[in-house]
Amino acid sequence: MAAQMDLVEIKRQLCGIEDAQDLDAYTLAKSFFDLKEYDRAAYFLRGCKSQKAYFLYMYSRYLSGEKKKDDETVDSLGPLEKGQVKNESLRELRVELSKKHKAKDLDGFGLYLYGVVLRKLDLFKEALDVFVEATHCLPLHWGAWLELCNLITNKDMLKSLTLPDTWVKEFFLAHMYTELQMIEEALQKYQSLIEAGFSKSTYIISQIAVAYHNIRDIDKALSMFNELRKQDPYRIENMDTFSNLLYVRSMKPELSYLAHNLCDIDKYRVETCCVIGNYYSLRSQHEKAALYFQRALKLNPRCLGAWTLMGHEYMEMKNTSAAIQAYRHAIEVNKRDYRAWYGLGQTYEILKMPFYCLYYYRRAHQLRPNDSRMLVALGECYEKLNQLAEAKKCYWRAYSVGDVERMALVKLAKLHEQLNESDQATQCYIIYIQDVFSCGEILEHLELSTAFRYLGQYYFKSKRYNEAFICAQRCCDYNDAREEGKALLRQISQVRGEADPASTDLSLPFLYGPLSATNTPVRRMSPLNLSSVTP
Amino acid sequence: MASVHDSLYFNPMMTNGVVHANVFGIKDWVTPYKIAVLVLLDEMTVSKCISLLEKRRLNKLILPLLQGPDMTLVQLLKTVEDCCPQLAYAVHLRLHLMADGELKDMESFFDVLPSPFNETESEAHKSSVVGLFMRHMVLAYNKLSFSQVYKLYKALQQYYKSYERKAPLVSDATTDADMEQLAPDGLGRKVEKQDLDLPPSEDDVASTEPLSQKQAEYFLAQQAYFLKNDENKALKPAGLQKELNNMLKFNPDFAEAHYLSYLNSMRVQDVFVSTHSLLHYFDRLILSGSDSKSNGDEGYGRSLRYAALNLAALHCRFGHYQQAELALQEAIRIAQESSDHVCLQHCLSWLYLLQQMKGSDSTVLTEHSVKMAVHFSLPYLASLGIQSLVQQSAIRGKNAKKLINALKDTDILHWKHSMSELIDISIAQKTAIWRMYGKSTMALQQAQMLMNMNSLESVNLGVQQNNTEAFTVTLCHLAELHAEQGQFQAASEILKHLKERFPSNSQNAKLWMICEQKIQFDRALNDGKYHMAESLVSVISALCKTEGLYRKALVLKAQNQTSEAYRVLQGLLIYCEKTKCTEMTIRVMLAIAELYWRSSSHGIVLPLLLQTLALSREHHLQKLASETVLHLAFSQLMLGIPEQALNILHMAIEPILAHGAVMDKGRALLLVAKCQVVTSASVPADQRHQALVVAIQNLEEARSYFDKVDCRDRVRDIFYLQARLYHSLGKTLERNKCAMLFRQLNEELPSHGVPLLTRL
Repeated sequence: MAAQMDLVEIKRQLCGIEDAQDLDAYTLAKSFFDLKEYDRAAYFLRGCKSQKAYFLYMYSRYLSGEKKKDDETVDSLGPLEKGQVKNESLRELRVELSKKHKAKDLDGFGLYLYGVVLRKLDLFKEALDVFVEATHCLPLHWGAWLELCNLITNKDMLKSLTLPDTWVKEFFLAHMYTELQMIEEALQKYQSLIEAGFSKSTYIISQIAVAYHNIRDIDKALSMFNELRKQDPYRIENMDTFSNLLYVRSMKPELSYLAHNLCDIDKYRVETCCVIGNYYSLRSQHEKAALYFQRALKLNPRCLGAWTLMGHEYMEMKNTSAAIQAYRHAIEVNKRDYRAWYGLGQTYEILKMPFYCLYYYRRAHQLRPNDSRMLVALGECYEKLNQLAEAKKCYWRAYSVGDVERMALVKLAKLHEQLNESDQATQCYIIYIQDVFSCGEILEHLELSTAFRYLGQYYFKSKRYNEAFICAQRCCDYNDAREEGKALLRQISQVRGEADPASTDLSLPFLYGPLSATNTPVRRMSPLNLSSVTP
Repeated sequence: MASVHDSLYFNPMMTNGVVHANVFGIKDWVTPYKIAVLVLLDEMTVSKCISLLEKRRLNKLILPLLQGPDMTLVQLLKTVEDCCPQLAYAVHLRLHLMADGELKDMESFFDVLPSPFNETESEAHKSSVVGLFMRHMVLAYNKLSFSQVYKLYKALQQYYKSYERKAPLVSDATTDADMEQLAPDGLGRKVEKQDLDLPPSEDDVASTEPLSQKQAEYFLAQQAYFLKNDENKALKPAGLQKELNNMLKFNPDFAEAHYLSYLNSMRVQDVFVSTHSLLHYFDRLILSGSDSKSNGDEGYGRSLRYAALNLAALHCRFGHYQQAELALQEAIRIAQESSDHVCLQHCLSWLYLLQQMKGSDSTVLTEHSVKMAVHFSLPYLASLGIQSLVQQSAIRGKNAKKLINALKDTDILHWKHSMSELIDISIAQKTAIWRMYGKSTMALQQAQMLMNMNSLESVNLGVQQNNTEAFTVTLCHLAELHAEQGQFQAASEILKHLKERFPSNSQNAKLWMICEQKIQFDRALNDGKYHMAESLVSVISALCKTEGLYRKALVLKAQNQTSEAYRVLQGLLIYCEKTKCTEMTIRVMLAIAELYWRSSSHGIVLPLLLQTLALSREHHLQKLASETVLHLAFSQLMLGIPEQALNILHMAIEPILAHGAVMDKGRALLLVAKCQVVTSASVPADQRHQALVVAIQNLEEARSYFDKVDCRDRVRDIFYLQARLYHSLGKTLERNKCAMLFRQLNEELPSHGVPLLTRL
C-alpha cells in the first residue's frame, strides 16, 4: 500500500516536471489554439510528454479535422456527396488513442477525447464504455457527463451503468431524467440539490424551469424563468423555452421586452433568433417570424425547435408544402419530436385529409401517450371519418388523462347526443360542468350554455322538473341560451300548473354533490382500446 | 441534445428554408472511376488495333460501365481485360502516368479530351450516350473549384495506389477488392485491422460509396423494374433495404428511394415500414412539386390525391379493408374537389376491386368504371376493368359466349396498344375460365400459348417479362392439368420449375404452394393413404380456408367418420352459398350426396343431385355437370333402374372421355360396365353373353385409367368384378388370373367392407 502511495507521489512529481518542461511549448500552442490555428498548435506540441500538452495536441488535431470537414461540406463535389464528407483525422486519432488507452496512459481528458472520437465514428458501445471510464477518472469534467447523456437512450441503459459516486452524478441523473421525460424524478433531484447547497445555481433554476415547461406547468415555469432572469439578466441559454411559454400565454409586452433585451446582448444566437421569431409570430407577422427561424437554422441546422416552429409559421401562412417540409426536417433531426408529427397531422387535416393525418396523429400519440391534445385531434379525425365508436374512445381517453383544453367531454357529449344516447350525454355534460366549476374559472360560456340547455331538456323529458328548472334558470345566465331557457321555464311551470318562484336560489346539488356517480351510470368503454382500427 | 461537437455546417443549397437537392442541375460529377472510364473511351477512339470482335465486346460493356456504380480499378481493368487485353494495358499505363505525374497531367487530360468529338467524323457523336457522358464530365470538371480539383487529383492518386497495392494478387483478389474500397485512408485502415478487432459490419458493407444522382436513379429504376417483373433478379429484401438506407443517409432528399423502400417492405409484408416509407415519400414529393403552387393537374394537389390513393392501395394489399375504404373515400373526395378525372378513374377501379375483395357484388361499379375509362381514353384501366368484369361474370355464370367475346375484344385493344402485361393476364384468364368450364383441352392450349409467346417488352438485361402473377397462375393450371391426366412426373417437373422461378418467399409463391398441396392430396386420397392426406389438410387450410375445410371433409368421409364429415360439409355449404362460390358449392353438394349413399338412402339423394345438376348447367361447369350425372346414374343404378342410368350415362360419357380427368374416366367406365351387367340380367342369353363381353372390355379400360393414377383400391374392385364376369362366361383361365390378382391386391390393402355398393 505504501509502495503504491509512493508510486503515485513519484508519478505526480514526474508530471510536475513534465509540465514544467513543456510549459513553453504548451503556452505557445495554447495561444495558437485560442486563435483557432489548430494545425499550428498541434505542430508545436508534437514532442511534448506531459498529459496536458498531449491532450491539447490531440484535441487540436481533432478540431482541425472537424474544421476542415465543415469547410469541405460547402465545397463538396455534389449534393449526394454531402453526407460523405468526414473528418479524415478521426481514424488516425482513434488508432493512437486506443494504443494509449490499452497502455492505460490516458488521463480523464484523454479518455474524454477518445470517447468523442469513437462516437464520431459511430462506435457507440465502445464510446459509452470509454465515457464511463472518463467519468471515473475525472468526475468533475461535465463534458464527459454530457456526452454520456447523449448516448443513453432509455432508463434500463441508465440503470446498467456503474457511475462514480460523487455529487456531479446527481446533476447528471437529474439532467438525464429530464431528457428521458421522467420529470417528477428530475424535479426531486434538483430540489434535493438545492437543499444541499446549490440554491444559488442558475443552472439548476433553468433546468427546473425547463422541466416545468415539459410537463406544461406553465405558471410555475414562468415564475422560475422570471426568477432566473432576475439572477442572471444577461443569460441567453434556455430563453427560447421561456419565449415559448410567453407565447403560449400570449404575453406580448413581456415577450417584446425579452426579445429586445436578448437582441441587445447578442443578435447572432440561435436562442435569440427563436425568441424574435416567436415575437413576430405572436404579432401575426409570420413571414418575418419564418425568416428569423431560418436564420436560427442557418446558425445551427440541427436546431430541432426551430424546424418545428418554422413549420408552424408556414402553416399560419397557409404554405402547406413548405410546412410539411419543415416538419419532415424536424423529424429527421429527431424522430421523437411529437410536435412535428402533430404539426404534420394538422397540415393534412387542413388539407382535408382526415384519414391521411390519422397516421401522424397516432405517431404523436405514441410519443406522448398522456397528452390529451393528440387524443382530441385523433377523436376529431375519427369523427370526420364517421368512426364514432373510435372517436368516443379517444375523447374518453383524452378526458381520463387530464384534458388540457376541456373540450373532450363536450365533444364526447355531443357525440352521444348525435347517437341518441341521452343518458351518456347527460353524464358527460354533468362531469363537464362539475369540472369547469370546480376549477373556478369559466372558460367558455358557449359550451356551458349548451350543456345546461341539453340538461334542461333532458330532465324535462324525463319529468324531473326540479332539476330541469334549475338548469333552465342557469341557461338564462347566458346570452345565447336565454330565450330557450325562458321557454323551458314556461313549459315547466305549465306542466307543474303551479309556479314555485321560491326555489329559484336552489343550488345545484346534483351538479356539485357526489350525485353524479349514482345519477346515471357512466358507460365505461375501455379507453385503451384504440387499436381496433390501427393496423 | 445538439452536442458541441456536432458540425455547424451551413448548407449553401438551402433557400427559403428549403433544401434543394439539385439547385445547380448537377446530376453527375467527376470521380476517379469516371476518369478511368474516360481514359478507356479515349483510348477506344484513338487506338486502331482493336479487332472487330473485341470492339463489339467493348461496346456492349460501355453502357453498364457508364450507368453502374463506381468500381475499383482492379475490377474495371479486369472487365476490360476480358474484352481486350491490350486496351486494358493502355488504360493502365495512362492512369499510371497521370497518377504518378503531377496535377497538370490530369488538367491536360481534360483539356485534350474534347478534341476527338469536335470532328464530325468521330465515332462518338455529340448526342450519343457516350458523347453526352463525355460532355457531362467535361462540364462537371470545369465547374470544380480550385480546391475541388486538387481533391479530385488526390482521390485519383489514392484510387491508383489502392490498385497497385492489390495488383500483385490480382488473380485471387477480386472478391477481396469488393471489400477494400478506394478508402483514402486505406493505409490507416490496414494498420487498424491488425491493431484492433473492428466490428465486422464495417467491412461487410458491399458498397459504401455514394452514388451520383444518375447512378442512384438508374439503380432505383432497375430495382423497381425487377420487383415488378422478375423478383428473383432484384436484390434480396434485406440487401435492398440496406442499399436504400445507405442512399438515404447520403441524401435524405432523394424521395424516390422512399418509394422503393415502400415496395420493398411490401415484399416482406411489413406494414409498419411500408406505411412509413410511403407517407415519407409523398411528404417529400409534395415539396418537389411545390414549384407550381396550383392545386390543379400539376403541383402538389395532384400528389396529395395520389398519396391518399396509394395509402388506400397499401391497406387494400394488407387486407385492411375498412381503412382502405376510408382512404379511398378521401382520395375520391379530394379528386372530385379538383375534378381530376384520371385520378377519379383510378379511384373507381380500386373501389370495385375493394368491393370484390370484400366479397360483395361490384358488377355495376366495374361496368361504370369501364365506361368512364373508355370515355377518358385510359385503355389500361378500361381493359383491366373488363378483365375483372369477365372474371366476376364467369364466377356468376353469365353467358360464356359473351365473356369469351369480350376477352377477344380486349385482346385486340391490348395488341393495338402493345400492353404485354395485360395480354399475359388475358391469356391466363382464358386458361382459368376454360378450366373452370371443364374444357381441359382448351385450357391446355391457352396455357401453352402463353408459355410459347415471346414477350413484347424489349429484352432488358436478360429479363423476360415472365415472372409475373399471370405466369404463375398459368403454370399452376398446367401442373394441375397434367396431374389430372396422371402425368405426375410432368406435374412435379412443372412444380420444380415454379419453385425455382418463384422462391418460397416471393410474392406469388402462395399460388404454387396450394397447387402442389392439392395435387399431393389427391394422390394420397386416391392411393388410400388417408393419414398423409390428413397431414396435408392443415397446410391447405393455412393457404386457403375453404379449400382446407372441403379437403378435411373428404378425409373424414374416407375415414368413415360420416357424421363429422357431414357437419363440416353443411357448414361449408352455407358459407359457400353466402359467398356465391358456385364451384365449391357444387363440389360440397356432391360430397354430401356421397355421404347419403353411405346410409344407403339413395332416394333422398336424387333431388339434391338434380339441384346440383341444374346449378352446374346454369354456370356452364361441364366437368362438374358430368360428374353430377355420374352420381345420378349411380343412384339410379342402386335404386334398381339401370336402364335409366345407362341412358343418362350416355349423356356424360362423351365430355368425360374428351376433357375429364383420368380418375373420372375410370369411374365413368366402371359405372357403365356395372350398368351393363345389371341390364344384361333381363335380356336373352345370347345377347347377355355379348353384353358381358362389352362390360369386361369397359372394365379393362377403366382399370388402365385407374392404374395411371395408382388407385389400387379401385383396381382391386375391378379385378373382383372381372373375375365374377369371367366366371359367369365360363372362362376359367381368365377368371383364375383375375382372382389371383385380386387376392394379391387384397392382401396388400386394408379392407373396408364392400365399397362396391356404396361408392361410385
